Amino acid sequence: MFPVFFANLPYLLKGAFYTINLSVITVVLGLVLGATLGVLAYYGPRPIRMLIAVYVFFFRGLPVLIVVFLFYYLPPVWGIDLNVYLSAAIALVCYSGAFVTEIVRGAIGAIPASQIDAAKSVGMKTVPILWLIVLPQALRFSLPPLLNNTIMSIKITSYSSVVGVWELTFAAREVVERTLAAFEIFLGVMAIYFLLCFPLSVLSSRLERKLAIPTFA
Amino acid sequence: METIQTSLVNAFRLLPRLADGILVTLEVSALSFVWAVVWSLVLLPLRMSSAPGVSPIARGYVEVARNTPLLLQMYLLYFGLPVLSIPLSAMTTGVLAIGLQHGAYLVEIYRAAIRSIHRDQHDAARALGLRPFTTFRLIIFPQALRRVFAPLTNQSIVLIKDTTLVSAITVMDLTLVGKIIVERSAASDAFVVVAAFYLLLTSALGLVHRVVEHRYGQHI
Repeated sequence: MFPVFFANLPYLLKGAFYTINLSVITVVLGLVLGATLGVLAYYGPRPIRMLIAVYVFFFRGLPVLIVVFLFYYLPPVWGIDLNVYLSAAIALVCYSGAFVTEIVRGAIGAIPASQIDAAKSVGMKTVPILWLIVLPQALRFSLPPLLNNTIMSIKITSYSSVVGVWELTFAAREVVERTLAAFEIFLGVMAIYFLLCFPLSVLSSRLERKLAIPTFA
Repeated sequence: METIQTSLVNAFRLLPRLADGILVTLEVSALSFVWAVVWSLVLLPLRMSSAPGVSPIARGYVEVARNTPLLLQMYLLYFGLPVLSIPLSAMTTGVLAIGLQHGAYLVEIYRAAIRSIHRDQHDAARALGLRPFTTFRLIIFPQALRRVFAPLTNQSIVLIKDTTLVSAITVMDLTLVGKIIVERSAASDAFVVVAAFYLLLTSALGLVHRVVEHRYGQHI
């Protein structure tokens, strides 16, 4: 079964390595960016909150592919020379980060104001309230959606192949052009993506049940 | 200042050409949304079925559809179906692929809505002597339906964003038209117009989503 796929597996796995690389960059930097902006979107000064709202509006409203193209076409116009990897990575991080921002902001918003009042009434300051009361619970709320966002981030790295980033999807197309074994190769490559995403999906739905705070239902 | 003016002039000059792309994007969006809903209504009874073997297969389909990139699913159909000598146009293939994936997402939305109806209501219905199907028809379904509207609108936004991928299999949608203009004329600002249109479309639907959410309340 699947002789062409297995004959080309080493080449495809090299592509998978690039996909994992790009995914890790997208997920990690997207998390850092989104978590920072998510907290600032709640506690930051008004101008910053408005800027973040604009950022989220743009990057959640635009299709990923369009974001990828924008970062590919526009920097040269302004005289900035980015290679495709960098432009795709920035595009994916900005896109993923916008979703993380909303998840974090929403999770913070879900914490009842009465808890903050209670903390203030026992004399806690803003930073300890944030660190000891708000963020631990917010993390608990946001973990399942953050995992879903991670799955999305892995899947959208494949779109970077459209502007010429060499990764798993690009490698798959090369192999298909060479061997014409479209079914075998694309099914096999889908299996590789599935192996990357499905465990996260299972983990996400388990955590959703496990981490739900019963009194908040 | 001058560059802003020239790019505005460019943008207006490009509008007629972009209009064709916009129509194709709207067409692909509408067709694939309808197909996704139809397909999800085929999948749902299979996924909820108690017949042996049926539900696991449906679940397997849903998981594969949701955990692999749409772009690859599209390539699989676009380059794979001709091998099986099934001739479909690029546009049909794109619509087919989008609906196949989004149908799977919709099934999970329905299931979440059905699950969100409290267990006690099932018990109460049984205590009143209602059959399982009658319980579903009269009690679960009407409530679940209300809870489906908001996530369904949300999913339609994701779907419209996903239609951009048909440009990768040669469908002349707004994305591909924009790309061709940029690459032929080096008018990179054309792409800003393309992006603006998508933003307009998704934020309009975003407003609809907020209205629907307000009207039918309750998150799942």
